[in-house]
Amino acid sequence: MRIVVDVADMKASGNGDEIVTHALGSCLGLTVWDPISKVGAMLHAMLPLSKINPDKALENPYMFVDTGVPALFQAFYKLGGKKERAVIKAAGCGAPLGDDRIFKIGERNLIVLKKLLWKNNLLLAAEDTGGTQSRTLYFDLSTGKVVVQSGGERREL
Amino acid sequence: MISKELLDRLIREIPSPPENAVRVLEVLRDSESTPSKVEEALRYDPGLTANILRMANSAYFGLPQRIGSIRQAVVVLGWKRVYDLVMVSCMSSVMDRPVEGYDLAKGELWRHSVAVSVTAELLAKELEIRGVDEVFTASLLHDIGKLLLGILIKEHMRDPEFFSKGDSSFDRLEKGLIGIDHAEAGAIVLERWGLPHRVVNAVRYHHNPEDSPKPDSMLDILHLADVTCLILGFTAGKEGLKYEPSSSVAKRLNMSSSILERASSLTLEKMNQLMRV
Ligand SMILES: [Fe+2]
Ligand SMILES: [Fe+2]
Repeated sequence: MRIVVDVADMKASGNGDEIVTHALGSCLGLTVWDPISKVGAMLHAMLPLSKINPDKALENPYMFVDTGVPALFQAFYKLGGKKERAVIKAAGCGAPLGDDRIFKIGERNLIVLKKLLWKNNLLLAAEDTGGTQSRTLYFDLSTGKVVVQSGGERREL
Repeated sequence: MISKELLDRLIREIPSPPENAVRVLEVLRDSESTPSKVEEALRYDPGLTANILRMANSAYFGLPQRIGSIRQAVVVLGWKRVYDLVMVSCMSSVMDRPVEGYDLAKGELWRHSVAVSVTAELLAKELEIRGVDEVFTASLLHDIGKLLLGILIKEHMRDPEFFSKGDSSFDRLEKGLIGIDHAEAGAIVLERWGLPHRVVNAVRYHHNPEDSPKPDSMLDILHLADVTCLILGFTAGKEGLKYEPSSSVAKRLNMSSSILERASSLTLEKMNQLMRV
């Protein structure tokens, strides 16, 4: 089955499903997979820190990286995923042209993610981040394969 | 380069807003109008009336009472809002189409237009900028030029060539390839449709606000709202994030990353409220 993750959303599954998310601009797309139990989850988070709108974070933790990533792992563990086997991949975090820091939401998303992973002794197995392209992310739960599509081109992460 | 004849032909192919809607918009814009004149103009368009009432009662406005008539909508929401709602109702069918060349699937251009409209209003509020009443309309229509140029972009912009031009903004690529960008094309269409000059100007310079003959805070807000929605993925076409936000606009509006992120955190909900009616 194909499961779609919307903007500010997360889906977890097993049973050979495929999880997809579209139009990753500055948003973070994060996948986690367990090669033994073959369960996994994908997050599509928009903004770095929930303190910008705490009410919204209570209503939807997946909007923010700092609340979305822990929620992603909770869902992953609940399905039987194990931390020591977790394969984590990141995509997205793009930016528009120019040097104005204000608009670099993508970079802020990536920094918050990396701090969180560091604190929890987790490592990224692969990432495809930055640049001006919009990305679509395909995640095959039977093989753990993550494919990034952008600008008419597909590459495996 | 695109010839004047070709441009004229392309403009003719864009469906104009429904005739009845044009009449309603005129009545709404006329300062001498009364609510009963608006009702009169809407009398023979039950579909439009129903749409307006449905949106007026949506969570977007969150009104405590139920609005049952156009007259009441004008009184409670005000002329400007009813104007916006007529606009939304009429333009959705024109702008819902897929746009080849820009790789926008059916509904994506419309979703982007609504996203920019609600983001523009959120930003105006967060930045405390007044006197930008028409920013909703301008935002709704800002990318209408894509409907015009799609076919040309498809013919002229081969993918490998396009993606190799790493650091050029997309509007510049359009101009280089066909002599006009979608902002200019959109302004030409709206001029012919008789939209107010300020709206036309905002559309014309939405990617290059510094080129506007006169600075205008409405144009500035549209520019920032558009960039915000492209960044967030609501919804970029083939061009992705290949546009350059204007630092001087950000500066003169006192934009900051926290205001940007705060408005962004509210965009999705507002957008869904207005679209799910
Ligand atoms: Fe545009
Ligand atoms: Fe746009």
